[in-house]
This record gives sequence, structure tokens and C-alpha cells, in this order.
Amino acid sequence: MTAMPRVPPRDGCAVVTGGTRGIGAAVAERLRADGWPVAVLARSGGDVRADVGDPEAVAAAFDAVEARHGPVLVLVNNAGVRRDGLAIRMSSEDWQAVMDTNLNGAFHCTRRALSGMLKARWGRIVNVSSVVALHANPGQANYAASKAGLLALTRTIAREMGKKGITCNAVTPGIVETDMTRDVVDDLVGMVPAGRAGTPQDVAAAVGFLCSEEAAYVNGATLAVDGALAA
Amino acid sequence: MDETQVLELVRAKLDEIKVENASAATMDTTWEELDVDSLDLVELVQSLEDEYGVRIEDEQLKGVKTVGDAVRLVIAQSGAAA
Repeated sequence: MTAMPRVPPRDGCAVVTGGTRGIGAAVAERLRADGWPVAVLARSGGDVRADVGDPEAVAAAFDAVEARHGPVLVLVNNAGVRRDGLAIRMSSEDWQAVMDTNLNGAFHCTRRALSGMLKARWGRIVNVSSVVALHANPGQANYAASKAGLLALTRTIAREMGKKGITCNAVTPGIVETDMTRDVVDDLVGMVPAGRAGTPQDVAAAVGFLCSEEAAYVNGATLAVDGALAA
Repeated sequence: MDETQVLELVRAKLDEIKVENASAATMDTTWEELDVDSLDLVELVQSLEDEYGVRIEDEQLKGVKTVGDAVRLVIAQSGAAA
């Protein structure tokens, strides 16, 4: 039996970028369970297609979502790619591609979402960063820099919008078993005090809280979801 | 549109964005006196743009220090658009 969906806290919807699988899919599921109409924005698949690195595509995608569901009041910037390699051998293309999706994409979506949130005097933005934003991992200069940039973006937006009922927070997942990390999880899981890799649902639970009405006073925070990996 | 009409609308918009004493604002009232910060100003401008179908560039906001400056800018821009 399916539980009755809860009534959404506000008259609007949620957008999850890169929400077709892994952490994003779990977040979308969680927000739906919390009663939000959710639009998954992804390069392929999803409810609406857009490359988050392309500001015009993002604007068009948001227009389409808002025409259907009303203002985007919850935004989870989750879209992310990895192009690992030691910095000394990293191509500029691999650096740029990761920045475009992971950091620029979050900015494009945030900028577009803020005007509707401002009008509503309510908004929740959660940026899915990473433990590597805080603790270096050789081979991920581009990924780590993009994810650390997300933390600074998070805190700045929180400050700018703090008096308008809009919060912006980040989560830093550790080793989470998804399609994107399947190749490295087994090698890394031994470092995790929890003794296991995280699940996408572990991360979704934290994101769900940060998107809730109850989290109104949590703003500019970085919440580790890593089984104490970074502790 | 004349200054009185636009001033009235600016007051209403300021009230919508929760600026205290919005109704007491005159053409000479400064943003500082109203405790309007840069984000409030952006919000005000966006709602005026929507209302009048005008476009106000960031560059044009630099000299806008008072309610009257904003009112005159909106009138000038709507004239330019017409």
C-alpha cells in the first residue's frame, strides 16, 4: 500500500538536477514523498531536458516547469560529472567540462530559481557537494575544485537571501554507492568509520530535512553525510 | 503616467517587499532612510519592470539614491519603450 502523499508545504514545485539516477533519483523520490511536485532536470531522460551548463537551456527548462507546476520553490543542485586524472595530465577540456556542469550549472539554476523564491518569500536550495571539497583526493582536482566552489556559492547565497525566507545549504556526501562511483567504492570503503558505503537514500534524508519547513533556521550550512569519513 | 501614480505604485511595491514605513515614502526619501538594501532594490526594480514592461539595466541604477530617482527612471524608461 502506498502512503498518502503529504500536502506540499507551499504552492510550487521542486527541481532536482541530474535526478535520473543515484543520489538525484533518491532525492526526487524523497521530495515526492514529502508532497512536492518534482521535476527532474537532466541532459537525457528526466521530466525536462537541459544541460545545466547552458544558461539559456536552463531558463527554458525552468519556464516549462513553472508553466506546469508553478514557481520552483525547492532546488536541489545535484547534477555532477567526473573526469578524473592527475592535474599534471588533466586536459583543459576535462577541467572545463566538470566546472560547467558541477559549478556553473548550479549557479545557472540558482539564479533562475531565486526570482520565484523571492516573490514567494520562501525557498530552499540544496547543493550536493562532496567530501572531496574538504579533504583532497588525488586525481580529482577539477571535481574537488567544483565541489568546493559549491560550498562558497552556498554560503554566499545564504547571506544574500538570509532575510527573505530563502535558505541555501550544502551536503557533502562521502563514499556513496551509485553508477558514478561503482568503480572506486570497493577500494575506498575501508576508510569509512561507519564500515559501509552510504546509500543514495542516506543523502536524500539529509536533503529532505534541509528542504523542509522545519529547517528554516539552518542556512549557509554544510552537512556531512559521510559515515564520519571527514570527522 | 505621472509622478504621483508611479510614486504610489513604488510605495505599494515597497510595502509588498516588507519595507517598513513604505507608505510614508516621498520623492526625497533615500533608500538609506527606508533601510532598503541592494537586494530590496533589485526586487523593487524587478517588480516595476514587470508592472510597466520596462527594462532597467544595472548601470542605470547606480545614480538611483532616492524614491524620486526610481520614479523618474521608470517614467523615462517607459517613455523610451513607447
